[in-house]
Amino acid sequence: MIQIIIKETKSFLRDTTNLFFYLIFPVVLVFLLGNLLTYMDKAEETIGKLRIHYSIETYDMADILAIEGFISEVEGHNIIFERRENLDDAIILAGSDDIDGAVLFTNSPMEIYIYEGSSRIKNRTINAIMNGFTQINKAVNIIVKTNPKALTAIADLSKSPELQQEFIEPKDLGVSRSMLDYYAITMLSMLCFMSVIIGAMCFMGEEENGTIHRLKIAPVNQVKLFFAKILGLIPQIFLQISILMVTSVFIFGAKYASNLIDNIYLLTLFFVVTFTIISIGAVYGLCININPMIIIFPLVWLIMFLGGTYSKELFIDGLTQALPTYKLQEAAFDIAIFGRYERANNIIIVCIIISIIMLILGALAVNRKVKK
Amino acid sequence: MSYVKVDNLVKKYGDLTAVDHLSFSVSKGKIFGLLGPNGAGKSTTLNVITTLTDFDKGEITIDGLDLRKDKTKIKKLIGMVPQDIAIYTHLNAFENVKFFASLYGLKGKELTEYSIEALEFVGLQDKMKLKPKKMSGGMRRRLNIACGIAHQPKLIILDEPTVGVDTQSREHILNSIQLLRDRGATVIYTSHYMQEVEEICDRIAIIDRGQLIACGTEPELVSMVTDVQTIYIETRLPYEFDSESFDRKIKLMPGVKGVTLEDSVIRVDISIGEDNITRIIQEFIDTGFPIISINSEVPNLDTLFLTLTGRELR
Repeated sequence: MIQIIIKETKSFLRDTTNLFFYLIFPVVLVFLLGNLLTYMDKAEETIGKLRIHYSIETYDMADILAIEGFISEVEGHNIIFERRENLDDAIILAGSDDIDGAVLFTNSPMEIYIYEGSSRIKNRTINAIMNGFTQINKAVNIIVKTNPKALTAIADLSKSPELQQEFIEPKDLGVSRSMLDYYAITMLSMLCFMSVIIGAMCFMGEEENGTIHRLKIAPVNQVKLFFAKILGLIPQIFLQISILMVTSVFIFGAKYASNLIDNIYLLTLFFVVTFTIISIGAVYGLCININPMIIIFPLVWLIMFLGGTYSKELFIDGLTQALPTYKLQEAAFDIAIFGRYERANNIIIVCIIISIIMLILGALAVNRKVKK
Repeated sequence: MSYVKVDNLVKKYGDLTAVDHLSFSVSKGKIFGLLGPNGAGKSTTLNVITTLTDFDKGEITIDGLDLRKDKTKIKKLIGMVPQDIAIYTHLNAFENVKFFASLYGLKGKELTEYSIEALEFVGLQDKMKLKPKKMSGGMRRRLNIACGIAHQPKLIILDEPTVGVDTQSREHILNSIQLLRDRGATVIYTSHYMQEVEEICDRIAIIDRGQLIACGTEPELVSMVTDVQTIYIETRLPYEFDSESFDRKIKLMPGVKGVTLEDSVIRVDISIGEDNITRIIQEFIDTGFPIISINSEVPNLDTLFLTLTGRELR
């Protein structure tokens, strides 16, 4: 069995096509897409100063205090709020882009009207700020109605910076993210799914070389033979995933998870999924005598395309979430960003079951006799 | 003693009967030739013997082992050299041989020694590090053989191992096969080339449409068609040559079936198997006729096949 593993590894490493498609191409793609999109992303992030005029027409003191309190917290160097008694002028100014937006707080329960300017990104930012305020205000109202004493406790928190930090501030996610990080994971996912070709070709290559007959007449158990062939691909799976991860991190500065354990788990997830996909490919190669580049290759690209591997904009509700590429990326991002393993665990369990089925099917397919 | 015994073998592919009640046996330490046109059932028979294909009826024993019951034991005895070159292009010659030998349980030092020996045997000891892509067709054929014999099998099956090779490589391959036989291996050999089969096989089976047409040694097979051999003797006849008297004299010799004279070439039809040629040449020498050239025309396996089936072998 060890001889088969050595043979497979040597064959893989000596095949320049394999080296390009499975080791070099994904790394280059991470670099190109990651850097290009990071650059585009940075342009979107440059919001600049926000000048917002607002008017309060509600008479509920709690609401007025909440609005004033929120604005004083949010206002800073880049966000400038200016209160107006009459908002009509502000609406005209927003329409002519002299200011970035006008906001009206009115009625009880409170309603918020936003009059936008023409800058899409600034409008989205104002909406996000107001949305944040609405959520906080809702929460405060619920507390007031259900447990007013809790407000006193929250008020006490404001007197203690340590407590406030622990209670209110979000926990540090560990690393600051860029599009390069996103593509580092999606390229891993792509590499993983493209491995189906390696699986298919491993037996099709034997068929083309005629060496499959030599293997079949050798006194090697056919089940062991299939296992050995698949196991023979493990070093290359490990190699291709490791090279992509290491080069992405150390050469291009991509970030996966924030700690070593999560990174190892991420590697394990992709390793298990790749093994499963290779075993599916191997069964295909044994049973279907059509070049995988004609059937599997376009299919995998379509799944990756619809599964959000290449663009976050392409999302077909109901379909995208059901695709394996989406699920894998979702699980990978869960580990990398939040350190959550639930989705990854589910995927690993499903993959183990599929792998066992594929190994049984593969062994049966190898055992088939030669047909004329 | 039969090392391989095939008895009433039947193999069907749907309605097509590829092998139809085929029976033959191969003695231990002999080269057995399977001859037949394309689609005759040669490769199917070999596939059955090597366990690549199941069979419908019949019995096959190899070294006393039943093919149906002792498949794994039989696999260890067999070395197969397939018709199409079956080697890995990304591995060099030594790695290829070593890999296939390792499938038969060879390990460590023994594996290395056997692999080197196989390469030496086919004359590729200097090309061990060379990859098949950089080899000539003949060298690849020889490597194909080395991969099939490295584990030193007792039964070697060669399916047209000389297809598309140059004369030098062909000679090397044929000599190697005879050497394998001399070392004690039993060989089953198929080929389209009559001369090869005649040259190296101890016994020959001719099959067509899955059936055995004839089986035996080459003289036995030829004698099934004719017992006459023709020799052409070119001489320089004297001016007052009495051809009638000479004809009579030659015709009276035992084994001579007929004599004809065409210009300076005398054609003599004689019985095969007796030492008639020597006697006739001696007669020419005694008469004082100088012999310029002698040609002999013996019916070959092609003639046999044509006679038995009405078709040419290829």
